[in-house]
Amino acid sequence: MKTDIRFTHQALVEKCKINQSSSQYELYALYVDAMFNIGIRMLGSKEDAEDIVQESFVSAFKNLGNFNYESTFGAWLKRIVINKSINFLKAKRLPVVPMETHAFHLTEDTPVEVEAVDIEKIKVGITKLPAGYKQIIILYLIEGYDHIEIGEVLGISTSTSKSQYHRAKKKLVEIINEL
Amino acid sequence: MDNFEKQIRENVAEFDSHKADRAKLWAKISQELEVERPKVIPLWKSPLLRIAATLLLLLGIGSFIGLQLLKSGASAETQYASQELLDIDMHYNRLVSYQVKLVQNNTNLSEADKIEFLSFMDELDVEYEDLKVELQKNFDNERVLEAIIYNYKQRIELIENLLIQINDSKINDDEYGYTL
Repeated sequence: MKTDIRFTHQALVEKCKINQSSSQYELYALYVDAMFNIGIRMLGSKEDAEDIVQESFVSAFKNLGNFNYESTFGAWLKRIVINKSINFLKAKRLPVVPMETHAFHLTEDTPVEVEAVDIEKIKVGITKLPAGYKQIIILYLIEGYDHIEIGEVLGISTSTSKSQYHRAKKKLVEIINEL
Repeated sequence: MDNFEKQIRENVAEFDSHKADRAKLWAKISQELEVERPKVIPLWKSPLLRIAATLLLLLGIGSFIGLQLLKSGASAETQYASQELLDIDMHYNRLVSYQVKLVQNNTNLSEADKIEFLSFMDELDVEYEDLKVELQKNFDNERVLEAIIYNYKQRIELIENLLIQINDSKINDDEYGYTL
């Protein structure tokens, strides 16, 4: 079954590989909203998200020859959008991980059990997270990346990803509780 | 994973509340993809395209040779037609020369009539030779062919006239005989 999922939209992807314009639009239409939402979450701006999504689709179609169904097309495209978003933030010198060095917080990194909260409150809480905390929360909780993948995307170690995530989560809960 | 995390992961779809301006974004994407398309040129380095190019070249050479063969086929047809013309020509030539000989050997005709007839024939022969040269230069020329036919007709007419002349002289002779 796992293999089947990876080949989702294979026929469409193959047509896009030979630059068939109508198929490119079809594939774009299937994924554009999801990618746009990732962009908005990561960057917090509609305009920036549009730029990143546009760039990502162009890059995806141009490099589709390198896509060999090692993941789903959606996951491959999502990685492009996330990488471009991170690079965009880095170019703007915005922190993608919390500023403080995690070494000082080792004792505080123990996971904290939190009860379920209203989704709408969580949404607002995420937008209010300070720069550097937001991305790791989004990548782990919403995009479903594990700490190995987050480490690759953000250029940090797996253990750093884990500790930074727990700090970011603690911060998020604090913000939500204040709402 | 605590309930807080579980709740978010289970309701991920609720975070996708924005809708992209599809037409606007696609316009930009397709524009960029169009601009990039001429970059195909360096791909000639790829072995697959090299094979394709070789095949195209071979096809080109093949069709060129094919066209040449077709052309030579056409010239063979021309040769065949001129062969036919040559046969007709020989036939008439033989016929005319035979009749000319008959005229020359005819005892009923005066020397002056013979010379006059033959000089006409020679004139037509010269004209005919010219027409033959012209025909070699331009085989499809209708006017040249018509001129050749006219040339033959004139010769035949000339012979016919001579025949009438001979017959007339015979009648005259007979009348003369009767008057006597």
